[in-house]
Amino acid sequence: MVPIPHRRPTGALLALGRRILDGVLTSWAAVTITFFALRLAAGDPLAALLSQGLASREQAEALRHQLGLDLPLHVQYLRFLTALPQGSLGTSLYTGQPVVRIVAGQLPATAELATFGAGLAIAMGLFLGVSAAWWPRTAIGRAARGLAGLSTALPVALTGTLVVLTASQILRAAPGNPALIEAKRLALPGIVLGYALAGPIGRVVHTGLGQSLRAPYFLAARARGIRQAPRLLWHALRPVLAPAVSLSALEGAYLFAGTVVTETIFSRPGLGRLLVGAILQGDYPVAQGVIVLAALFYTASQVMADGLAILIDPRIKGDG
Amino acid sequence: MSDRTADWLAGMWLVLVVLVSLFASALTAHDPYDPAGPTLAPPGGPFPLGTDALGRDLWSRLAYGGRFSLGASLLASGLTVLLGGSLGLLAAALGGWVERGVLWLANSMLAIPGLLLAMLLVAGMGPGMPTVILAVAIGGTPGYARLSRGLFAALREMGYVAAAAALGAGRFWLAWRHVLPNARDHLISLATTSFAWAFLGTTTLTFLGLTGEPALPEWGALLNAGRLHLVQAPRLVILPGVLITLTILSVHRLGDWLSRRIAT
Repeated sequence: MVPIPHRRPTGALLALGRRILDGVLTSWAAVTITFFALRLAAGDPLAALLSQGLASREQAEALRHQLGLDLPLHVQYLRFLTALPQGSLGTSLYTGQPVVRIVAGQLPATAELATFGAGLAIAMGLFLGVSAAWWPRTAIGRAARGLAGLSTALPVALTGTLVVLTASQILRAAPGNPALIEAKRLALPGIVLGYALAGPIGRVVHTGLGQSLRAPYFLAARARGIRQAPRLLWHALRPVLAPAVSLSALEGAYLFAGTVVTETIFSRPGLGRLLVGAILQGDYPVAQGVIVLAALFYTASQVMADGLAILIDPRIKGDG
Repeated sequence: MSDRTADWLAGMWLVLVVLVSLFASALTAHDPYDPAGPTLAPPGGPFPLGTDALGRDLWSRLAYGGRFSLGASLLASGLTVLLGGSLGLLAAALGGWVERGVLWLANSMLAIPGLLLAMLLVAGMGPGMPTVILAVAIGGTPGYARLSRGLFAALREMGYVAAAAALGAGRFWLAWRHVLPNARDHLISLATTSFAWAFLGTTTLTFLGLTGEPALPEWGALLNAGRLHLVQAPRLVILPGVLITLTILSVHRLGDWLSRRIAT
């Protein structure tokens, strides 16, 4: 008998705790970089207001004082950092409304699209990857590989516009079709976004599943007499899930960018449109608020995905 | 289609796009900024691809557009390679706290997705083409710095580096004379990836309308402007979109080809 290696029962929890602590540090770094990068890039945050003639020099001075822009940078930073946990991100330069309220107003629309798109991406990615690995060298496998490859190459800007074009052509033939109008609101943008993110997931699942189909434990499972395809598939798929989950979280980076473009194409309200509008107007507190929120969300999703990966695959200890 | 054919097609496409961009003035009959004909004219006659909503020649705008799209992403990725590569080399050459510091900074910056970091910088500097280039370049820098540091650190452990060090070579001489030349192939392959990223980043930012100059004939901006006339003239959207897609596909193909060449 080979002795069973001793494993501390707290291993997974410890790894999880370390990952969460790491996530908190990363969030702080992201917030800090956002703050300083914006201040360093912008010579004068109020330049846009002044150049558009929206504020006189005296008004700008008063606003500068009110926003605390006349204070030394490190004092501004400390103010920003201490206000953040209280849920304050400053106020818009244009409307004077709290940024948190503006962002909260646009958040549901983006959350809806991003959740739907990410869910579709995982479903499509799994489907494409499994099809490609399970039926290699067949028409199905090749089609799945092709679709996954194309997904990474086609910019959302193009697929989105083509979908809008097709939808509006159909709408012209059948004006006011309620099903299509509803589809244009969520289903179509979700599919466009989901397809763009499905490719990399599909590729990871394809490669991983291909490896585990050749691995000894898969042969052992077959030798034990497991015949049904679903159970066999689960056997082979389980080790692939952890990397696939981690990758899905890394894709969160692209999720937000994809959401911005998709919202623009489908003229959907949301954080992406808000961000682009704020950049064009020079409303830096709003832009900063959206970016801080997106970065925090991205970090949190990575921590959660790593935690999930540790739970799925106990061999991962978070330091590998 | 075999891999070799695809490689050839990708290479030919890139050469074609570069040549058309370079010789745009000889290949087009109309100025890309001047309304030269009726608005939204269909392809044919003096306008091979028709005109846009202001009556400007679409072929001319696409041909000149290559200069902006390719030029901007080339500049941006060049800057990324220069900045990220120098940071990576510096970190690997000096080691110790410099290396830890560079890695920490790069990892922290990677907490903000590249495109978001680029948008943040555009928010600070205001819209405009130079801003977009700089923002895309800095957005790609942390990733490139981390990857090239890993590459240099692996080469640092090679026997010939130890041998040269034993003969009394200094850190920077080692980095410049021994590590850098041996990293060349991998660096070029990484640079291709960085160019693909820069191209996608640039066209995405311009598509979002951050050029600061509505008349600019740049592919992402053309794709954006064409959306307003999507139903009347789909070619205004489809043509720049297809150009962007084929270029990205070809650059990825080129990158794959390069990394396969290095592997064998």
